[in-house]
Amino acid sequence: MSTLKIGVYICHCGGNISHYVDVEEVRAAVAGEPGVVVAKTAMFTCSDATQQEIIADIREHNLEGLVVASCSPKLHLFTFRETARRAGLNPYQYTQVNLREQCSWAHRNNRRAATEKAVRLVRAGIARTNLTVPLEPFKIETVPAVLVVGAGVAGLRAAVGMADLGMNVYLLEKEAQPGGWVNRPGKMYPAGRVGKEIIAQLLAEVQERERITLFTGAEIVEKSGSVGNFQVKVRVGGRRRQEISLNVGAVIVATGFDVYRPAACEYGYGFTGVVTLPEYWDLLAAANGNLIYRRKEIKDVVYIYCVGSRQDPEKENAHSYCSRYCCSAAVYAALQTAEINPQIRQYHLYRDMRTYGKSELLFTRAREQGVRFLKFAGDNPPRVEEQAGGRLQVTVCDLLTYGEEVEIRADLVVLVTGMVPRENEQLVKVLKLPLGKDGFFNEIHPKLRPVETVVDGVFICGAAQGPKDYPESVASALAAVTQSAALLKKGYVELEPLVATVDPERCRWCGECAAVCPYAAIEKGQYLYRQVAWVNEAVCKGCGGCAPVCPGQAIDLRGYTDAQIKAMIDGLLKGGL
Amino acid sequence: MPLVDPEFLAEVKRSPAFNAEACLNCGVCSAVCPLEIELLPRKLFRYVLLGFKDRILANTETIYSCLLCKMCEANCPQEVSIAENVRALRFWINKKVFQL
Repeated sequence: MSTLKIGVYICHCGGNISHYVDVEEVRAAVAGEPGVVVAKTAMFTCSDATQQEIIADIREHNLEGLVVASCSPKLHLFTFRETARRAGLNPYQYTQVNLREQCSWAHRNNRRAATEKAVRLVRAGIARTNLTVPLEPFKIETVPAVLVVGAGVAGLRAAVGMADLGMNVYLLEKEAQPGGWVNRPGKMYPAGRVGKEIIAQLLAEVQERERITLFTGAEIVEKSGSVGNFQVKVRVGGRRRQEISLNVGAVIVATGFDVYRPAACEYGYGFTGVVTLPEYWDLLAAANGNLIYRRKEIKDVVYIYCVGSRQDPEKENAHSYCSRYCCSAAVYAALQTAEINPQIRQYHLYRDMRTYGKSELLFTRAREQGVRFLKFAGDNPPRVEEQAGGRLQVTVCDLLTYGEEVEIRADLVVLVTGMVPRENEQLVKVLKLPLGKDGFFNEIHPKLRPVETVVDGVFICGAAQGPKDYPESVASALAAVTQSAALLKKGYVELEPLVATVDPERCRWCGECAAVCPYAAIEKGQYLYRQVAWVNEAVCKGCGGCAPVCPGQAIDLRGYTDAQIKAMIDGLLKGGL
Repeated sequence: MPLVDPEFLAEVKRSPAFNAEACLNCGVCSAVCPLEIELLPRKLFRYVLLGFKDRILANTETIYSCLLCKMCEANCPQEVSIAENVRALRFWINKKVFQL
C-alpha cells in the first residue's frame, strides 16, 4: 500500500480528552502506523503556538498528510484545514478525528477501553489520510441577476432592494395583478396604513427601476444549473401563452400564504352573520358611520380566535401552529369597529392573547374602550347557533368568569382565521423546495440561517415560510436580499470538492443513481458515443446516496472513496493497543 | 346559564369613574385583600362587564363588606380605581334594591 508522509497530533483538550484517555499511550500506539512521520501530543492543538508547530513540522518533514485527533469537526475542521493551507499542504489532505465527543466524553468511566477506542479511531484517520489526493474547491462565476417569485409585499420589497444593489431582477406574479394579500382597501396594524397604498407605493418604486422586469400571470416551469448560475423557464400567461428563458444567480421565493377557510358549519360558518376576519375587513372598509351586514345594522359582534390555528395535532392535517398575526389583527379590528361606532358591543373569545411586542398597547386600548374579552380552553371551544329572528347565539365556557358557561347574543360572529400554506405543488417540484411539517417552506436554521434553504442559491422570505405580519414579511424579504446579494456581489462561489465522480469506463447508464439523487445533480451525459451518468458538481452535495446503488461500482465520492472507507474499517479493526 | 346583558355596564357606568374594563384578571387584588373576600373585586367586575345582574344582587352583602381600604387599588397593575368602582356599584344597589 502506498503511503504519504503524515503528521499526527493528539490533543489533551485541556483534560477534556486526557482525563479519560491516555493520550501518550495513543501517541505511542499510532506512531508506527504506515506513513506516520511525526506523532505528537498537545495540550491545546487549536492554540496558536501548536498550530505554528504543526506548520513548522509540515515544512520541515515535507508532510503530505495531516491528522488532528481532537474535538468534533463541527468545531475545528476549518481551523486545521486552514493550518494545512498556510503550510502549503492541500487542505483536503487533512483528517480530523473526533476523540472528544465520540470517545472521551462518552466513556468517562472506563479509561482502558476509551484509550483503546481512541487508538482505533486515530488509526482509521491515518488510513483515510494515506489515500487522500489534493482537491480544489470549484469556483463558479455568478450571474448578477435574481428571480423573485411572488409580487406581494415581500416580493416587491425584495425586488426593489435587489435592484438598488445593482442586480437585474425578474419579478414573477402568478395572479393577474401584483400586490398579494396586503393589496386591500382596509387599514392594517401596527401603523394603521391602508394596504392598497403600501402596495401602490411599492409598485411605483418598482416602475422607477429599469432593472426590474415584472411578469404577471407567470409561473416557473423549469430550473436547471446551479447556485450562481441558474437557467429558469417561465411561462407567462395571458391570451398568448409563451415561455421565456431567464439566466439568474439566485432565486428568492416570496409566494406568501393562504387564509384558512373554515369547513362548513365550523363555528357556524355558513350561517348568515358568520364571517371570517378577511370578510370582516371588507365590511369595515365599506362602513360609513354604521357597520352594515346584509342591510342590517350591527350592534353586537362576537369574535372567535384561533380558528384554523393551534388545532389538535392528533387531528389529520391539523394546523397545529400559532398564526401569530391574528390576535393583533383582531384587536386592531376591534379598535377600528369602535372608531366607526363606539356603541357597537364587542366580545372577543380568545384562547391566549398573543398580542406580542407593540401590539400589547392595542390590547390595552381595546380593553379600555370597553371591548370585552372572554377566555376559553382549547379543548372546550365556543358553540355558535342560529336563533329565530336571524340572530346568532354563542355559548362559551369563560375561564375569566371562573369557568362559567356564558351565552351571548350577536348580530355578527367573526371567525379569526389563521394563515395556511399556499398550494404551490409546481413550484415545490421545480425548485425542490423543502417543506416543513406544517406545509410552509423550511429554512436551514430558524435562528441563524432564517432565509436560506438547503438548495444553494434559493432563498425564502415572507409568509411563505410561516405566518408573519407585513412588517415581519418585509424584514425577512430584506434579509433574503442581503443573503442573495452577498452571494452574487462576490462574483463567484466556491464549492466543496467532496462530490460524486463517475468512472465513464464502468458506467452503463442505468439511471439508478439519478433516481436516488435528492438534488437532481446527476444527468445523462455522453462519453465516446455512449451514454453515461454525468454529475453536475455544482449541484452535488456529496451525500453519497448514489454510490452504493450503482450496480457497476462506477460512482465514488471524492474525499470518502470506497477505498478510503475500507481502509478506515481496516484501521478500526486492527486490534487494540 | 347566564345570558350576557350588554346594556348593564352602561347602567352602572352612569355613576362616575367606573373603569373595570381595563381589568386584566390577574388576581393581585384578591391576593392582597385584608378581608380575604374571594368575590371581590375581579370576579365581581366580570359580572358587571358581562351584565350578570342576578349574581351581583345575590352578593349584595359581600359588596357592602368591602372596607374600601384601597389595598387592591394600590397594587393594581392596570390602575383600575377599584374602590371607586365598588362605590359605583353600591350606588346602583342603593337605588335599585334599597330605593334610596
